[in-house]
Amino acid sequence: MQWNEENGLLLIPLGLGCLAVWWLMPSAKQRPRILGGLAALAAILMMQLMLLPPAGDYVRNVLFFLFAAAAVISAGLMITDRNPVYAALWFALVTLAVCGLFLLNSAPFLSASTIIVYAGAIIVTFLFVIMLAQQSGTATSYDQQPIQPAIASIGAFILLGALLFTLQEWGHIDGKSTNLHAEPGQFIALPEGIQPNPLSQAPHDNPHEIGSLRVLGRSLFGDYLFAVEIAGTVLLIATIGAIAIAPRRSQGTL
Amino acid sequence: MLEQLINWFPEWARPFIMPMLTIAIVLQVNLGVCSYLILLERKLSAWMQDRIGPNRVGPWGLLQPVADMLKLLLKEDVIPGHVNKFLYVLAPGISVFTTMLAFAVVPFGPVPRNLSATDGQFPFIIAPGVDLGLVFIFAVTSLAVYGIILGGWASNNKYSALGAMRASAQVVSYEIPLGMSVVGLALLTGSMSIEKILLHQADAGILGWNIWFQPLACVIFFAAAMAEAQRLPFDLSECEQELVGGWHTEYSAMKWGLFFLGEYTHVITISFLTSILFFGGWHFPWIAEPESQYLGSTLVKVLVLLMKSFAFIIVIQMLRWTIPRFRFDQLMGLAWKVLIPLATLNVICVMIVKQFHLNQWWLLPMSAALFLGAGLIGTQSSRPFARRTVEPVAEAHGHHAHAH
Repeated sequence: MQWNEENGLLLIPLGLGCLAVWWLMPSAKQRPRILGGLAALAAILMMQLMLLPPAGDYVRNVLFFLFAAAAVISAGLMITDRNPVYAALWFALVTLAVCGLFLLNSAPFLSASTIIVYAGAIIVTFLFVIMLAQQSGTATSYDQQPIQPAIASIGAFILLGALLFTLQEWGHIDGKSTNLHAEPGQFIALPEGIQPNPLSQAPHDNPHEIGSLRVLGRSLFGDYLFAVEIAGTVLLIATIGAIAIAPRRSQGTL
Repeated sequence: MLEQLINWFPEWARPFIMPMLTIAIVLQVNLGVCSYLILLERKLSAWMQDRIGPNRVGPWGLLQPVADMLKLLLKEDVIPGHVNKFLYVLAPGISVFTTMLAFAVVPFGPVPRNLSATDGQFPFIIAPGVDLGLVFIFAVTSLAVYGIILGGWASNNKYSALGAMRASAQVVSYEIPLGMSVVGLALLTGSMSIEKILLHQADAGILGWNIWFQPLACVIFFAAAMAEAQRLPFDLSECEQELVGGWHTEYSAMKWGLFFLGEYTHVITISFLTSILFFGGWHFPWIAEPESQYLGSTLVKVLVLLMKSFAFIIVIQMLRWTIPRFRFDQLMGLAWKVLIPLATLNVICVMIVKQFHLNQWWLLPMSAALFLGAGLIGTQSSRPFARRTVEPVAEAHGHHAHAH
């Protein structure tokens, strides 16, 4: 019952949000969109009360709420928009807003590279494919209805709930704030029991260095060398696979 | 003088004065220069084709840009009935906004070394002290393609859609060599900040300019940047002979003009970047050294940088009338089969030199060898992608083959 008291409150906005997304998803019969919108707004406001960001200065707070609201709202619109091209554009906005959040948390390189890779390349490729499939400016009939809206929204919100629950456990909080003693440039304080990696080569003493290219490189190729190499190998395998799947010149490509 | 101006404002507003002033100057100069670059381009093309060029408005046609501007502004702004209105109107704005935003981290003069927002030094850059200036520029210019894609798709026109699709494939491909070509510079300088790369070269003198160590990277950067800006010979997306106007077929009046404002701003940014990254920026031996403090030295430095950039703008405009347009498969082949491998090999050369502490001058013969090697492979390979043989079609469809 201890658990229920601490985390039961979280279930209300989660359920409300799930309902809102399911309601807003495009379907055969028209539902009044205003109801879904109101439910989504209520869910966001309740969630916002429970998970306040660390108290920073005024500018930082304003920027945080701007980017966070933009990210969440565009994400909702991305899922519920009828037109695939608009969905891709909302996805681009989500990426840009999240990059703004990265920037606020002193990760400029992560922010810039996410813009280059996601907004600049991957979503452009999405748009390319969508434009090939659907060439007119107005929406056509197919590709407009989700296949299993109920299962998809419930599954996604269970995932989100698990994520939030883990974050709360990790941050040692009681449903109020994720971070009471935040260092500058830090979103969530390091929990009590966890020590920093002793093998880490990155200097932790200078707060201005956090997130700089030098520290990031040392961390990637020092602390996370194994993960980086594995990721590189997986990508290489994917590239080889793509070349293997692609038809040969003799089979009629350029 | 500037300090008095700043002190005249209330305390809270002071940090904003210098950036606002810089933005205003850059914006106005950019708009003016863009319109005269169009005149220059028309005159240059006329001279290269043995014509006279525009010469009716004002002496030597000097008022032609004013007339063009007035025409663009006063023309009827047609929005066709079959377009997606919101995206159709949004697209030119994205085009201009992203290219202008990229200029925020490009220094256009000698940036003072110890700069603070309120001490009255003119910064010569809109956003000083951005540590990842190069990455920022690539991030912002990679968003510029949204203007083209949305414009092309919203126009609801087959030619526009084809142009937009070509543009998206092209920009995604050419971003890779563009980013790879400057990795070598970042390794040599130890920084991704454009100001630091400039100062590093200025401190080292004319023999420290990056062009001596990275000539191949300079060529790759220039070519890839031209492709990003959709300039001829890479303007497959607006290819007049096959696609009417490509992605801007349905645009008219100032919306069309905004697309071209974006393109010319992009050209100016490319020229500034090339002269800053590879040709020492405002540094020139004897007249514009880092320690030269004579009266008007700042002005001389600005002029040196402007002249270098102007030279590159001229090169870009002359290229337009020199090299014919690629075919689309050649364009993609150039990016994936030539520029990306060469840029990767170039980075490996820099890594070898840095790792084994070799003399930096080894990079010059290495770059030359890579360039010549690529050229040799290109001419010697038995199946260049330009030569596409058509298989004889089966008997029943024989007459079609002739028709094509």
